[in-house]
Amino acid sequence: MIKALLGIYRPKFLVTIAYMLQSSEYDVLKYLKWFWTTQNFNKVSNRGSLKKTSSAKALLYALYAGSLILIISGLLCIFLWHSNKLYAGWTFGLALIVGYPIIIGNIVVVPLILGRLLLVNPNNNKKILRSEKIFKDYRGEKIAIVGSYGKTSMKELLMTILGENKNVAATPGNKNVAISHANFAFKLTGDEDILIIEYGEGQPRDVELFSRITHPTRAIITGLAPAHLDKYKTLQAAGDDIFSVANFVDPEKIYVNAESEETENFMRPKFNKYSKSGVNGWTVSNIKTSISGTTFKISKGKTSLDLSTSLIGEHHIGGLVLATSLALEFGLSEEQVIAGVARTTPYEHRMQPYELNGAWVIDDTYNGNIEGMRVGCDLLKSLSAKRKIYVTPGLVDQGKETKLIHEKLGSYIAGSDADIVVLMKNSVTEYIKNGLLKGGYKKKISIETDPLKFYRNLSHFIASGDVVMMQNDWPDQYK
Amino acid sequence: MNKLNVAVVFGSRSTEHDVSIITGVSSIIKPLELSGDYNVIAVYISKDGSWYSDDKLKDLSNYSGGHFQEFLNKIKPVTLSLNSGLKLVRPGLTNKTIDIDVVFPATHGTHGEDGELMAICEMAGVAYVGCDVRSSAIAMDKVVAKDVAMSNSIDTAKFVYFSKHDFNQDSKGALNKIEKELRLPVFVKPAHLGSSIGITRVTKTEDVVNAVEVALHYDDKVLIEEAVNNLVEVTLPIIGNEELKPAYLEQPVLHSEDFFDFDTKYLQGGKKGKNKGSSGSQGYSTIPAKLPKALYDKAEATGLAVYRAIGCSGIARVDMLIDTKTEKVYFNEVNPLPGGLYSHNWNKAGINNIELVSRLVDLAVERFTEKKSLETVFKTNYLSQFK
Repeated sequence: MIKALLGIYRPKFLVTIAYMLQSSEYDVLKYLKWFWTTQNFNKVSNRGSLKKTSSAKALLYALYAGSLILIISGLLCIFLWHSNKLYAGWTFGLALIVGYPIIIGNIVVVPLILGRLLLVNPNNNKKILRSEKIFKDYRGEKIAIVGSYGKTSMKELLMTILGENKNVAATPGNKNVAISHANFAFKLTGDEDILIIEYGEGQPRDVELFSRITHPTRAIITGLAPAHLDKYKTLQAAGDDIFSVANFVDPEKIYVNAESEETENFMRPKFNKYSKSGVNGWTVSNIKTSISGTTFKISKGKTSLDLSTSLIGEHHIGGLVLATSLALEFGLSEEQVIAGVARTTPYEHRMQPYELNGAWVIDDTYNGNIEGMRVGCDLLKSLSAKRKIYVTPGLVDQGKETKLIHEKLGSYIAGSDADIVVLMKNSVTEYIKNGLLKGGYKKKISIETDPLKFYRNLSHFIASGDVVMMQNDWPDQYK
Repeated sequence: MNKLNVAVVFGSRSTEHDVSIITGVSSIIKPLELSGDYNVIAVYISKDGSWYSDDKLKDLSNYSGGHFQEFLNKIKPVTLSLNSGLKLVRPGLTNKTIDIDVVFPATHGTHGEDGELMAICEMAGVAYVGCDVRSSAIAMDKVVAKDVAMSNSIDTAKFVYFSKHDFNQDSKGALNKIEKELRLPVFVKPAHLGSSIGITRVTKTEDVVNAVEVALHYDDKVLIEEAVNNLVEVTLPIIGNEELKPAYLEQPVLHSEDFFDFDTKYLQGGKKGKNKGSSGSQGYSTIPAKLPKALYDKAEATGLAVYRAIGCSGIARVDMLIDTKTEKVYFNEVNPLPGGLYSHNWNKAGINNIELVSRLVDLAVERFTEKKSLETVFKTNYLSQFK
């Protein structure tokens, strides 16, 4: 307890503050919430550490300077009091010296807010407006990828398959907000045949704004599930925003993942549905999936193609068929499509299998939504193994739906055939446990208090014949 | 239910001191702690034979830095009490005593694996993991182990042996005996050491003396054995007391002129020579060994027969040499405490590290409970005659 309290006076405390700001993506409210709910600053950086970017370094120097100024000011107050020049100066001075970590931890947000309001936002807005013209003038296909989940996977599928014959450019990594779109636009050479733009919605009207700026010619809605409910409040509001892309695109060029049940309420007659059953007249048959990949056949009229991918799980098939169908529409040959599908591989931390001690671990730790969790549970059920282990901390940012969603998750896990369920101890663990018990789960539930220790020592828990499904991972700011 | 206090003992006055630290800390302490079922006590025996116990000894990084000796100087050695069970006594203003329920030996080679540590446990009346005093002592003398195997109709490669004294007295006679009874190439080995320390493969008569001298530098008894033709070397980890469970036969990936020496096992990650195996977790072996089924079964049966003949319990690893042309399986040696418990092989066989160490503790308790039921006191009137 005393060690925890004194922790704020360690020099490392300022690095911790910088780390907390960086991890919160400099979102002041998120940072302050984290700051004021932290009981021990010595134990904040468990899952990561400060990335020494130039802005992080500048912030750190500012924190050092600010702390020094506060301490010197405190000493000066005491000195002035001692010289009878400042009434009660010693009280004020002592408060500054003793309280400098708390003061600096809070006032650090002031320059951030001012900087954002006075410098960053106006600058970004200018860039975004400039990019709008670039997107508007671009004559090729602009495919918007929208949805609560599965966006990056869909983007990668399109990139890989269309890239067999077309010059395709896509927004990089998880750079999926307006300013990232603008930066992407500035880097375009003009030689691109197709642009793929990922929309990273986070609050109401985000998708509407992205659509206005990027002028999509087609849109793929990958799914709807509770996400960012801290801002959207309801799933309906999230759906309204996601489907607002349809106001900017010909409805016949909107493709909606029909396997996402929640999209049903937002469907319009001319939208195209895609799923593992097919799309655009293509039908799917002969699906076989295992830990080493998935094979299936697609047919339309007299044409049929045998496709294989190292992506695991049937949930990828809908996206693959859609990408295949678009590729053929854009003029790729059947051979190019087959080769493109064969080149699709699991993406990092997204249903990515790897072997450890003869066991298979499926790393799905970037999965952060209930629909993706359901898919993971279904996949675990479909795989044969001597022993199945399911690992998760649960989901974040589920707002008022937190309890309900985690009970639902528990029921999905109960149906996954897992022999052992490993839950990371946090605020949602009990809800998942309730869901597991309600779902009739009777096997072993293990609660880990130190997630990092568990992940680091995973090799000691598993052996040949085991399959481990690891879904989602919580960064330090969530408890 | 109270957790068992399990003392993992490692280090010791042995040429395999460093390997023992890895086995103790990484392969035993870590999974025992992760199981959450035991209070794990790290007991380190330094190269000078002092015993230490401290939680910091559970962290491997503390051994590699230059401050390890300084750390040992700070903590005082513990003493052992053998009265009514084994107790560790930490000196201080008031001595702190820790009751040990189970000892988990992780000491390779001399002063540990050879039965000495097991003897302390027997004297204290405490359960301990792995082979008992007799089987450990037999296993640690390659010559005696071969004799026991032969008396149980298990084949071994032809061999001769000398004590240091005998060799020094009459080295010419010894060389004549080698020349007369064995054909080259031969392997010259210290009789009591593990981890392949001091072993030389000799292909020319004039190199024999040098190889014997190397072996006798480490040991007071030397074994010279004929190399097996068309050789496939295999090893079989086994656990169990009465009911035995073999892991997979494991086949080191080696050049015909190479053998499984210390460097290959521990320093190069098994990447000696041009062959770089990839199937074993340490990268130097194929698991399971690629042998015809009948030969695989024969080798497995030989391994189990050796385990029983020597009286092993808990865990051991039996090394065998196979002439693939004649399909003859020769017992080579038995290792009563395989390095790292051979957990990479057990993992392939479907047993994870936590299950492995937990099962070994269970086997130790099971054997101890059975042994306790045996009567060790016999009432006589013998002393009354001295009234």
